[in-house]
Amino acid sequence: MTKRPLKLGAALLLALSAPMSASCGGDGETELILGATTSIQDAGLLDEIVRVFEEVTDYDVKPVVGGSGQTLETARRGEFDVVMTHSPADEDSFIADGEGLDKRTVMRNFFLIAGPDNDPAGIAAVAGMDAAFERIATGEHEFISRGDNSGTHRREQSIWEDLGIEPDGNSWYQVSSTGQGQNILVATDRDAYTLADSSTFTVFRDRVNLVALFTDTVKPNVYSVIRISPEEHPNVNAAGAIAFAEFITSVAGQCLIAEFGLEEYGESLFEAARGCPTSDVGG
Amino acid sequence: MDLIWDGLTEAIGLIFSGDAYVYEVTYTSLLVSGSATLIALVAGLSIAYFLAFRAPPGRTLAFIALAAGMALPPVAVGLLVSIMLWRTGPLGQLHLLYSRTAIVIAQAVIATPIIAALSTVALQALNPNLRLQVLALGASRWQAALLLFREARLSLLAAVMAGFGAAISEVGATIMVGGNIKGSTRTLTSAIVLEVQQGDFETAIAFSLILLAVILVIVAGFTALQQRRSGQ
Repeated sequence: MTKRPLKLGAALLLALSAPMSASCGGDGETELILGATTSIQDAGLLDEIVRVFEEVTDYDVKPVVGGSGQTLETARRGEFDVVMTHSPADEDSFIADGEGLDKRTVMRNFFLIAGPDNDPAGIAAVAGMDAAFERIATGEHEFISRGDNSGTHRREQSIWEDLGIEPDGNSWYQVSSTGQGQNILVATDRDAYTLADSSTFTVFRDRVNLVALFTDTVKPNVYSVIRISPEEHPNVNAAGAIAFAEFITSVAGQCLIAEFGLEEYGESLFEAARGCPTSDVGG
Repeated sequence: MDLIWDGLTEAIGLIFSGDAYVYEVTYTSLLVSGSATLIALVAGLSIAYFLAFRAPPGRTLAFIALAAGMALPPVAVGLLVSIMLWRTGPLGQLHLLYSRTAIVIAQAVIATPIIAALSTVALQALNPNLRLQVLALGASRWQAALLLFREARLSLLAAVMAGFGAAISEVGATIMVGGNIKGSTRTLTSAIVLEVQQGDFETAIAFSLILLAVILVIVAGFTALQQRRSGQ
């Protein structure tokens, strides 16, 4: 009696595994796991990159989304083959530790301060990111932080550090612990200031009451592709990682990035690092 | 409120325009959660039968564990399944993480205690002498089990509905082990999360309404089955 259901369960599992694996490709040769940051997904670019890359190659891409910090941490365990992140300092220590190699710049956008349009802190009048943050802190205007070790959070932390301000624990400093898009929504809801990347802000622009008050054009937000070291992690799909890094920095990949968003938003969401020769919208 | 109305309009549009993306994520949800429910049903009924009729030592403790398991946090299940399926984990060689199979495993783990606990109660509600009578009349153990399941079918169908409902509406573990990959592991629930992250609330509401409609149709089907049988 107790054995029959077990057999039935096993048969059921076998029967189910056929249609499952057909659409997922369970073997390690073609499987390519890509760690990417939330801003690439929230802008809608990630689905597009995966779709085109799968069209031109035989790889079966499995994109996994998280903040830059989380993505690099998971990559240190050898769980990803290649990553796309935007946290230069974390990326450099990742490579210095021998975990990754072959960092190539893929694209960039800009960090901006979004806030209520009556702008109580007077951010629109400042000359630099540091001055803007200082005004928010001294005026104790509410500021929403990602607080998730993402690339955006890292940039925010480095600005506070440069200023010698410790924002944690102040009542005007709130942590949302959400992805890029959600964080903008939280800030809207509270009429607060926040740091956002220009691509995600463009996507959310029409849905929120916040306006872009100051855009930092001096220090752009740079996204890079890094392959995970096959010496450090023998399980990784090294060939697939090279194929992806080549694709995303190739003319095809760069044009995909440069033209993404034109139709829907009337402007490119990201600047392709190498530009796109057939289009005048590249970097 | 406008948003909900817009969502409703968009949902109806998406359903009747034959939008391929909507059908794909709906199909994925049904395939994955249906499979998970079937596995949970087989496992849950086996556990329930064993607990209800074999009365093993420590039965009460086992039942408490099952009942507590009904409140198992899906994210914790997702984390555990992820760690098992990681490349560096014990089952890493199977390359199952970020696949539909991984979601089936996580959802089956979530649904099994629900079906097992509710089925145990359903079987215990039967006359305890019934099994002995049936066996005395010459039924095989397998026939006896089927007959007892048949006797308790009303409550067992409710258990299956509860298990299926938990599986198809789950999202935390689904994204953690499945990865929300378009064309493969994007389900109705993970599509909702993605649309919210992208700020497209109309589409998110539309997907929520489609999910509700799917659940409604399936529960209505089960209920019709349940009521028809009970009317005999």
